[in-house]
Amino acid sequence: MLSERDPQGFSIPSTVKLPNQTAHDSCPPEVTRREFIKDGSVAILALAGAPLTGTGNTADTNAPASGTDGATDYKGQSPPVNLGLIGCGPWGRELLKTASMLPNAPVVAVCDTYPAALKRAATLAPEAKQYENYRDLLADSKVEGVVVATPSHMHRDIVIDAIKARKHVYCEAPLAANIEDARAIAKAAKETVKVNFQAGLQNRADRQVLNLASFMRTGVLGRPIKSRQQYHKKQSWRAAAPTPERQKEVNWRLDQAISPGLVGEIGIHQIDLVNWFFMLRPTAVTGFGSLRQWRDGRTVPDNVVAIFEYPGGLFLTYEATLGSSFDGELNLFFGSDCAVMLRDRRAWMFQEIDAPQLGWEINAIKEQFYKSTGIVLAAGYSKAMPNQTAKPAEVPQDPKSPLQYALEAFVINSYNHQAAIRDFTSAYDPSDTNALKQYLDEIAKMRVPAPGWAEGYEATVAALKANQAVAGNQRITIEPAVFELG
Amino acid sequence: MTRTTRNLDPNPHFPVRTRTTPTTKLKLWLAFALTVWVCDLFGAETLRYVAKPGGAKVTIEGTSTVHDWITEGKIIGGSFEVEPSFRTDLTLKSVQSLHGKAPPPNVEVFIPVTSLKSTVLAGREKMDEVMREAMRATENPRITYKLTSMTLKDPVPESGSPAKFNTKGQLQVAGVTNTIEMEVTMERLEGDRLKFSGKKALKMTDFKIAPPAPRLAMGFIKTGDEVTIRFEWIVGLSTAP
Repeated sequence: MLSERDPQGFSIPSTVKLPNQTAHDSCPPEVTRREFIKDGSVAILALAGAPLTGTGNTADTNAPASGTDGATDYKGQSPPVNLGLIGCGPWGRELLKTASMLPNAPVVAVCDTYPAALKRAATLAPEAKQYENYRDLLADSKVEGVVVATPSHMHRDIVIDAIKARKHVYCEAPLAANIEDARAIAKAAKETVKVNFQAGLQNRADRQVLNLASFMRTGVLGRPIKSRQQYHKKQSWRAAAPTPERQKEVNWRLDQAISPGLVGEIGIHQIDLVNWFFMLRPTAVTGFGSLRQWRDGRTVPDNVVAIFEYPGGLFLTYEATLGSSFDGELNLFFGSDCAVMLRDRRAWMFQEIDAPQLGWEINAIKEQFYKSTGIVLAAGYSKAMPNQTAKPAEVPQDPKSPLQYALEAFVINSYNHQAAIRDFTSAYDPSDTNALKQYLDEIAKMRVPAPGWAEGYEATVAALKANQAVAGNQRITIEPAVFELG
Repeated sequence: MTRTTRNLDPNPHFPVRTRTTPTTKLKLWLAFALTVWVCDLFGAETLRYVAKPGGAKVTIEGTSTVHDWITEGKIIGGSFEVEPSFRTDLTLKSVQSLHGKAPPPNVEVFIPVTSLKSTVLAGREKMDEVMREAMRATENPRITYKLTSMTLKDPVPESGSPAKFNTKGQLQVAGVTNTIEMEVTMERLEGDRLKFSGKKALKMTDFKIAPPAPRLAMGFIKTGDEVTIRFEWIVGLSTAP
């Protein structure tokens, strides 16, 4: 490990194209700062060339001046795409609720093998056609895109059949419960250019996190040193069911044989942040797991630690427990110039005393954490607010949830994808698949930021390798080849 | 059947004639020959160029109270049909249809409205939505153009490029048709492909489009009525019949 250490530390490749790094360029030069402030919209981003700009725009355009009313007051940005939901468990129903808040995501079909779950989903989407067999849902020509929220180990056949049926797919993360299945899914998605595939890594579509990602990519940390993440929650992870068979079914997460474990089911969303922010893939992971709190016959640890090693000597320590809730969920990124903390979709920067000054932080809102001062980082918030000392401005709460951003991106990207295919094949020889692919690649550059099969697969590999390490209390080397689809 | 059986005809007012005289045969044969000749002249031997992917580009540039805007697309469909001498006579001197001596080439062009994308870096989806609404895209998913006249403007170099034409045609946007005049430049590309390019200033209100005034981050903005449309259309010789 030490021999691999890069004496220069880490740097962000200059070729990296950030999803929203140029957002401030769109700020029209004709509009003066005075006009911005007069307008009173908190949505004005990117003053003084600062990088903290969000990519979302619906919230911008409709956010009230206070930015805190929490109303879902925005217009659909694309014509509707008809969705079908496969898997109507608690998370599936959460997705259903979120879809119902979007103006352009009508859920026209729902599917579950368990009648009670289907019935509950039907109360949320009374118009939707109900299916017990997912193949029947896929055969429904009204359905244009499917959201797959079944247990992870059941994803493979459903997702691949959906892709074959030319439905756009939103596949929950992890993509699968083992790497072979995840690879098969990613490959099918990659090869089927006519389908828009999105992995359920909602952080990657969340305006708040996207904002932070582009900030991190400016190299603000200085030399990245390490990362620490945790998920602390006192909860059993066990669901009640009327029969022993159903109990086994709904508690698939507690069965070591099929469960991706805490690190695979929950940690994946956090670990992905490190891979994303630093554009690195882990080379090894060491795991520890124990059962400390919930000794109810389960085989999956409720107390886990995973230490990832990245090229150049960067470490990520991931800790998750279901035995204690203190300090909740947390993501820390430590660098030689500052540390950045992300929790509950809010972020703060803690500067070192010898860090170069960025300028804007003088006026920025600050919050005290024990002995440290955190400089607030938030999308949709202008750092150059006037009269800051007289009357501290409130940091706006983002009215949209990460899942809302994610589903919104899925619908818009799916619509644009199918419109692009329709437009192209109406004008040119539809059998010219190479030209179509080239055109779709062009269109893909205009995607609303959202994770595709590549991001989904990479995160799944990292998380499942960690779960394997935790299960065996061992160190596992992650060969670079495993990240490739082959 | 002969005249003697005529009375047996169920409808004597419309006698059935089945016997063909030598004169009729000759007439039929002549008609057939004429049809074949006409087909040769205007049908089978008409060159047909169809839209080809890669290189096509359309931009619509406009103004607003805040900043100029550009919408861009990479799909232009349609076809260009012209007499065979168009391909061999690079100076186009002998191409009757380009000198007003025969009906003009048959040209039909379309642009799918959804393929037009705003080039703004943030908030593209919003801009595209504004455009789709303004252009009433649901009812009128295509911008269409049909050529009505095309004449050579200047002498064409021996190489065949560039050739400049004065054209007239019917442009339909948002379901409203206007006749537009436009200078069009043609270049011959390798592989029997042609590139037609041109630009035209238009008014949104001529197509019954109210210049959009969307509410954006900086408040209400108002777009200007005048827009400039530029295009580069690529067609290739079709091998299909």
